[in-house]
This record gives sequence, C-alpha cells and structure tokens, in this order.
Amino acid sequence: MTINTAVKNGECWEIQLGEKFDFSVVTDFREAYSDMPASIKEIEVNLTDTLYMDSSALGMLLNMQKVLAGKQLRYVISNCRPAVARILEISRFNKKFDIV
Amino acid sequence: MFQILIVDDEYINRCMLREMLVAAGYEDVIEAGDGQSALEMAQEHTPDMVLLDVMMPGLSGLEVAPELKKFSPDCYLPILFITALDDQASLVKCLDAGGDDFISKPFDSVVLIAKIKAHERSRTMSLELAEKNESLFWYRQDVERNHRIVEHIFANAMAESETLDKHFSYYIQPETRFNGDVLLCEKSPVGGAYLFVGDFTGHGLASAIGAIPVAKAFTAMAKKGLAVEEIAAELNKILLEFLPADMFCVACIVEIAPSGTRFTVWNGGLPRLVVRDTLGNIRHKIESRHMPLGILGTHEFERNVEHVDAQEGDRLLVYTDGLMESTHPELGGLGEEGVEKWFSEHCLTSARAFVDLASEYRQGQPATDDITIVLYRCEPFRVINEPDINSVLLVPFKTEMVLTNQHLKHTNVADFIVQKLSNLEGLEAIRSEVFTVITELLNNAIEHGLLKLDSRLKDSSEGFEEYYRLRAERLEQLTMGHVKISLNCEPIQRLLTISVFDSGEGYIAEPVVDLSDDTHGRGLLLLEEFCESVAIEEGGRKTVVTLSF
Repeated sequence: MTINTAVKNGECWEIQLGEKFDFSVVTDFREAYSDMPASIKEIEVNLTDTLYMDSSALGMLLNMQKVLAGKQLRYVISNCRPAVARILEISRFNKKFDIV
Repeated sequence: MFQILIVDDEYINRCMLREMLVAAGYEDVIEAGDGQSALEMAQEHTPDMVLLDVMMPGLSGLEVAPELKKFSPDCYLPILFITALDDQASLVKCLDAGGDDFISKPFDSVVLIAKIKAHERSRTMSLELAEKNESLFWYRQDVERNHRIVEHIFANAMAESETLDKHFSYYIQPETRFNGDVLLCEKSPVGGAYLFVGDFTGHGLASAIGAIPVAKAFTAMAKKGLAVEEIAAELNKILLEFLPADMFCVACIVEIAPSGTRFTVWNGGLPRLVVRDTLGNIRHKIESRHMPLGILGTHEFERNVEHVDAQEGDRLLVYTDGLMESTHPELGGLGEEGVEKWFSEHCLTSARAFVDLASEYRQGQPATDDITIVLYRCEPFRVINEPDINSVLLVPFKTEMVLTNQHLKHTNVADFIVQKLSNLEGLEAIRSEVFTVITELLNNAIEHGLLKLDSRLKDSSEGFEEYYRLRAERLEQLTMGHVKISLNCEPIQRLLTISVFDSGEGYIAEPVVDLSDDTHGRGLLLLEEFCESVAIEEGGRKTVVTLSF
C-alpha cells in the first residue's frame, strides 16, 4: 500500500500519500481515514512524496470531508511540491483545507 | 652489542686497552693498527665508540677523527683520544679535530671505564633520538600522504556544481586547509535547485571527512527530486551512523522552485536565512527550528519544513556563523542583526561584498571560524535553463498509440506515457504537469466516453464510492472500444500537443459551478490552467491540448 497513517502529537491523524495520488488509490485513501481513534481533532494529508496528482485526488479529498462531516475536525494539507500546490491553488482548496 | 674500536700503532697499548674493556664487560672490541685501516674498519663495522691514538705513522689521530665523525652525521659517535701529551695546546687541537675526551697514558682502568660508561650513555641516548627522529619523519610523511589522499577525495566529492556557479553568488573561506563548512548545490528534476549549507563541528581533516558521505547522499537524493524533509532525515541518519558522538553538522537544506520565488527550508542550527526585497526591506526571516544533523535518533528527528514565498528580484541570503561571529575591537560581535542590517541597507549583490565588509569590520584581525556565504537572486530557472540551441539536438518528436480495452484495464498507462516523454529534452521539468494533463484526458475518455459514467454521481459521498466501484466494474466488463493518443513535441517552439480520442458517443463536460464544494468538474479547469489551449472536437470525443515548456 502506498498510503501510510500515523497519530501525531496525540490529536493529529497523518495520512501520508505516495508518489502518485490518483484514482488508483481511491480505496486505499478511503480506508486511510475509516478507522481513526476518537481523540483525533485534526487530519493532516502529507503530500511530501507526491509528485503526480489528478482531479480525482481532489474529489477524494473533498469526499473525505463529506464522509467526516459530523466531526469537528481541522483539515490540513502539508508539504506540497510546486506542481501539486498549483493544482490545489487552481481549485481554491485553501478555502476548505489549511495548506501548510 | 656496544662495539668499541681501538686505534693504536702499538700492539701493547691495544692489548692493555682490550683487556681492561673486556674485564669491564665490553666484549665487542675491534682493533686497527693505523689511521687508514681505522677508517676502513669504521666504515665496515660502524662502531659505537672509538679510542684513537694521536700520534701514529701515516694518518695521525687528528686527521682520522674528522673523517670518523663524517660516518655518523646524525648520531653522536664518541671519540676518545689516547695521548701522553698533557700540554694545553695539544689537548685543544684534539678537541678541535672532533675529539670528545682523553685517555691519558699510562692507562688507569677505573678512570677509563668511568669515561667509557659516560660516553656510552650519551651514545645510547643519541641512537634512541635518531631512531625517534626517523620514525617521526616517516610519521609525518604518512600524515602528509593521508592528507593528500583525503584532499583528493574531498575535492572530488565537492565537485564544482554548474548550477551553483550559474545561479548563485557564493564564498567559502576555510579557516584551515580543510573546511568544516560544506556548500552543495544540485539541479532538481522539476527544474529548480537544491542547496545544502552545512558547518561541521570543528575544522580540518576530521570535519572534512564527515562532509564526504553527506555530499554523495545529498547529490543522489537531489537528482531524484526527493522532498527537503526526506533529504534532511536521510542525512541525519547517515551522520548519526558516521560521526562520533561529539561531532555533528549544523545545516540548512533549501529547495528552490523552478519559479525561483518559492523556497522550502529545513534549518537545523544555521543563522536565520533572510529574504530581502528589491527596496531593501527584509521580507522573511527563516529561523532555525531544529537540532543540527547527526544528533537526534531517527524516531525523534523533526522533519517539518517551512515554505516561503518571495518575488522575482528578491535576494535570499544563507550564511554560516563565521560571518556573524566577526568581531570589531570596540563594537563587539556582528551578530545576525548586524548581518541583516548590512543586507538591508547596502545593495550587496555578491557574497564577496559581505566578506569584504566583514574583514573591514574585524579591523585586520583574522576570521576565527570558516565563513560560507550564499546569495541567490530570485528568478525563474526555466528562463535560464533554456537549452542551448547549438549544443542540444532539438528534433521534433511525434507518436501515436491506440489503446484497446485490454490496455485500458491497466491503471498505469499514464505512467508509461509520462516516462517516455520525460526522456525528451525539456519535458523532464514538467513531468508532474504532463502526468496531470494526460490522466485527466485519459480518465475523461475512459470514464465518460467509453464507460458512460455520470460525474454527478460523485456529488454525494455514497455516490463517490459508487462511481469508482462502477468504474472498476464496467472497465472489467468492457469488450469494445479504444482510445487513441497522439503526442507531438516541438522542442524549438517548446510546445507539446496531446490529443486524446475515444470511440464512445461523445460527451461534453459541464463547467464547474462552485469550486469549493462540487466533487466533480475540476478536471477541465486543471486542463485550462495547465495548457496553453484546450479544444474539444468531434462532439466531445476528441480533446486536443497544448502545453508549453
């Protein structure tokens, strides 16, 4: 699996993607946030390794927010490489995610 | 064994001396009856001491003594003159000739042996000293040779970087022959650059050795385009393994985006990085937020980086503490504030200018630490990376492929195309964009053209999953249809045209209405932003886009 998850600082659920974030990881990404500890207050999607991304990844990110809509969570996307940052910027993702 | 040469023309004298010596335990005694044979024997046997008669037929003792001394230039060879003379002038002559002491005739055994013992001690000490000198000489030769080897390896590891020379103004001033400071630069595969500025604890050979694995690993990782935090974590791991516990490396790793205006920084202990705008205002200060490399274990290592945006024409300054430690006899240390004041107030366009100011500030005192300064003027790398038309063969490239339902069942068709295109001059730099564009085009053709999926399904979260479940199911069942991809690369105009045609019924995507909410419709928007032109033809069955690079 190209997606890793970990609890950071007790409250942050970190989802780290691999080199490619496209529809081939739809199921893996859905599973990455399906079983989080209750203490989680923040989800950080770490794109440090991600070189390739397409619009289905954007769909997956928004869908995650819809699925988890009942919880009060902060959503963060971190460590974007320039090409990925541009995709998020074009799609105005800064309105729904804290991009750091 | 301590060997004594007796030189006397009178047999009886030689016999008496030999007996006294043997009685005192000096058993290794050799004899010569005249000056000439004394010299021959001395050359052959290298005795430890010579008892030399002054008056002999042929060569006299006074003539033989200086010659004997010549056989032992580095080491004390005691010569004791055997003499019946006791006038001052004769004794002085003996000493002038190289004699070290006298044995008066008639011989007194007690005095003779006492004198021999005294000179034996000097001879032994002198021999030991000569031996130590010799081993010291070899040791120094060895150190010198090792230095030369390390210097050679170091020079190769720190091979000059073309990127560094072309885009950066830099200065490295070693405080000793080997530098504890390390400056590395490497082009990134996406068209920007990576910079490593490090300062190992200490100076000299030991710190230079630590730099070698760092340089190799950094270059390899930069060429692969790894993220800054990955590079930092890996270098930390390497140094942790390589360096002794009391040695570490203060360092900063910067990735500069192809635009030249976005920096990703991991700073572990270096003075804060500064970005200055064209008017002299300090736009950013990027403080050190981490422990130096080579201290923390892999599990406790902090990877987080900072992203900083600048504007074209801004300047980024990175330096090691040698600069801020410059001390004025009255004003004291320069400090980070002092460096930033210079940076802000003076229009310093070269690293050398900082060094000159620092040396003026020190008022003639030498620098106490290595100084490294790097100055970067923000400008797009792409412009500078323009290939030299004369040196690169710019051949147009055109290809076409028809993908049947069998091919389309593989998810990595886009990978295949991107990999092939990346080999073309100039396209490596935009491989991420090419991937996004090709994936969008391909997914549109497959999902809407061939599989007739409706994007609106994706609007609810249940539908989103259903959409991708249906996609997999229908693709599996697909028995007909194909997708035709044409690629046309014009390296001189720097244009890449991609056309994707599907054998479906035609489909026109709805424009996205609300960017922040709809889970679909962003694909077309990305295409429009990434491409110079997007044309939908043949009733939505064919999309032609052009990318510039």
